[in-house]
Amino acid sequence: MNGDDVLIQARNLVKDYPMGDEVYHALRGVDLTVKRGEFLAIMGPSGSGKSTLLHLLGCLDTPTSGEYLLAGTPVHTLTADALAELRNREIGFIFQMFFLLPRSSALENVELPLIYAKVPPAERHQKALEALQFLKLETHAHHKPNQLSGGQRQQIAIARALVNKPSLIMADEPTGNLDSATSDKIMAQLSELNAMGNTLILVTHEPDVAAYAPRQVRIRDGKIVSDERVKKP
Amino acid sequence: MTAAALDKKSIYGFWGTLMELFRIALRAIWASKMRSFLTVLGIIIGVLAVVAVVSIMQGVFQSFLGRFEALGGDTLFIEPNYRLYKDYSEAVKRLKLTYSDAQAVAQDVPQVKEICAILSRQDAISFHGHHDTTQVWGTGDSFASMNSFTPEYGRFLAPMDVAARRKVCVLGHEVLDKLALSDDCVGQEIQIGHGTFQIVGVLQKKGGSVFGNQDDAVFIPLSTAILQYGQEAADSLLIQVQIRDPKLMDAAIERISAVLRRQHGLKFGQQDDFRTVTQDEILKQIKEFSSISTLVVGAIVGITLIVGGIGIMNIMLVSVTERTREIGIRMAVGAKRAHILYQFLIESVTLSTLGGVLGLLLGWGVAHLTVAILHHTVAETFPAAYVPVWVMFLSLGFAAFTGAVFGVYPAVKASRLDPIEALRYE
Repeated sequence: MNGDDVLIQARNLVKDYPMGDEVYHALRGVDLTVKRGEFLAIMGPSGSGKSTLLHLLGCLDTPTSGEYLLAGTPVHTLTADALAELRNREIGFIFQMFFLLPRSSALENVELPLIYAKVPPAERHQKALEALQFLKLETHAHHKPNQLSGGQRQQIAIARALVNKPSLIMADEPTGNLDSATSDKIMAQLSELNAMGNTLILVTHEPDVAAYAPRQVRIRDGKIVSDERVKKP
Repeated sequence: MTAAALDKKSIYGFWGTLMELFRIALRAIWASKMRSFLTVLGIIIGVLAVVAVVSIMQGVFQSFLGRFEALGGDTLFIEPNYRLYKDYSEAVKRLKLTYSDAQAVAQDVPQVKEICAILSRQDAISFHGHHDTTQVWGTGDSFASMNSFTPEYGRFLAPMDVAARRKVCVLGHEVLDKLALSDDCVGQEIQIGHGTFQIVGVLQKKGGSVFGNQDDAVFIPLSTAILQYGQEAADSLLIQVQIRDPKLMDAAIERISAVLRRQHGLKFGQQDDFRTVTQDEILKQIKEFSSISTLVVGAIVGITLIVGGIGIMNIMLVSVTERTREIGIRMAVGAKRAHILYQFLIESVTLSTLGGVLGLLLGWGVAHLTVAILHHTVAETFPAAYVPVWVMFLSLGFAAFTGAVFGVYPAVKASRLDPIEALRYE
C-alpha cells in the first residue's frame, strides 16, 4: 500500500435539511482530503455539523451537493443499496452507544458484517474469532452484550468494525459512555490500529480524546475552521 | 480478492444468505416465545378448526365411500319411489315392492346374476333375561354372497330355511355382547319380537356397510320375516340386484323398469312407482356433498386466516418499530434493503408456518379425540378421522401464504427506514 494514497477526497460538501418552510444548512461546503493510514479527529460543538459530516464520510447519507470520492468511488452518485455495499466493504463503525445486537453473542455481533458480505459460515467464525483475539476478548466470544462491561462492549464493536478489513474506521464519540481509565484503554487500542496502518476518523468534542489523533479538524457552523497536524506529546 | 475466494462466495451466495436470514428469524421468534405464540394464535386456531372438521368429515365420507365402493359397480338397488308422496307413511301404504316383483326381475331380466329381496325392521331381542333391540333383516342365502358376509361360527341362511319358513337366525357379532351370548351359542334359541328363533350362525365382525352397522343385526329367512311382520312389511321390500357385468348396467335398468311397470300395471305416461339406485349415483352424491362441505369449510378458513393474518401484521409492525435500532445497526454494517425486507418477511412466514404446523398437530389430535369420545358416547361405529395429505399441505400453504401477504407491509416499512434515523431511534 502506498502511504501517499488518497483515501478520502471531499469537495465542497453541502448538506441541507428541509425544516418546514425553512432549510437548515448542516454543512456549508466542506473540503477534506484524507490519505490512507491517517488518524484524524473531527472536533466541534454540538450542532456544528460534525455528525452530518460523519454520516456523509461514513456513506450513511449522500450530500445535497458536492463530490465525495472514497477510494476512488464517487459516493455522491450512489443508490442506497450501493451505499450499503460500500459501507460493508470499506467502512467499520464504532459508536458511542456501542450498538451491539442484544440477543446475539459477542462472536455473532462481530460476524454481522461478514453475513452481509456473503462470507461462508466457517470462514466467518474464523475471521470473527481472529478479530476478537486481536482485542484479547476471545474468552468472551459466547457472552451476550449484557454480560459484558462497557469497555468490553466497545471492544466487541471495534472487533466488528475491523473484521471485514475496511479501508476506513469511523469512531463516533467512542469513549462517550466509558469511564476515563477504560477510555484510555480504548483510545490506546484505536491508536494501535492506526499504527498498524488503518485509516481512522474520530469524531469527538472532548479535547483529551482528540489529543490521541495527530491531525485535528475543527468544524463550526457547517464549515471547517481549522485543520492542524499536531505533534504527539 | 482472489479468484478462489470469489468462487467460494458465489457458491455460498444466495442460499447462504437466505439460510442466515432464516436463522435470524427463528432466533427472533424464539427470543419472544410467548408473544410469537399469541401472534399466531389466530392461525393456530384457524388451522386447528379446519383440520379437525375436515378430517372428521373426510372420515365419514371415506367410510361411506368405502361401503358403497365395496358393493362394486355391478350392484343396484330397487326401492319404492317414496318421492311420489309427500307423506312417508302414506307412501309406505300406497307403494308396493314385493317378493313376486323380485322373482319377476330374476326371471325376465337376462342381465341379472343374483338377486335378493330384503325386509328390514327394528325389533326387540332377548335371551335369558337380557333384553335389547337390533335391526332384523329378512332375506335369503344370496344376501351373504352379494355382500360378502362370512360366518365365523355355523352358517348363513340357506335356501331351505326360506322355503320352509324356518325360525332360524344368524347373528351379527355385536349381538353376542348385547345378549351376553358365548361364542358357542349356535343351536341355542333367542327371542326376536314375539317369535323364538334358533341360532344357526354368527357372522364375522364387519363394521359399517351400505346397510349400516352389520354387526348389530340379526338375519332371518325372508319368508319367516313376512309371517312375523305382516303384509305391510312384505309389500315394501328393498331389492338388491347384482348384474353379470357392470357394462350391462344401463340395459339392466331399462329391462328392470319394463318388467316392474308390467308387474305394477302402470299405464303409459304414469310415473314409475319404484326407483333404481346404482353405486355410481350414490358415490356421485356423496362426493358432491363432500366437495360442497369442503368448500364451505374452505371459506371459513379463509376468513379465519385473514383475521390471523391481521394479527400477524399488527405484531410485525410493532416488532419493526421496537427493532428500529437493530435495523439501523444492520444497515450500518452493510445490510441492503432487500436483506431487511427478507429478514422480516421470512420471520412472518416462518411464524405463520410454525403456527400452521402447531394447528395441524392440534387439529389432528382434536379430531381423533372427538372421534374417540363419539365412540364411547354416541356410536361405536363412528368412522375414524381421516386427515388427507392435501389438507395438510393446503393448511400449511395457506398459513405460509397468510404470513407472506400480511408480512409484506411491515417488512417493506422496515426496509425503507433511513439508516441514520434508525440508529438515532431511542
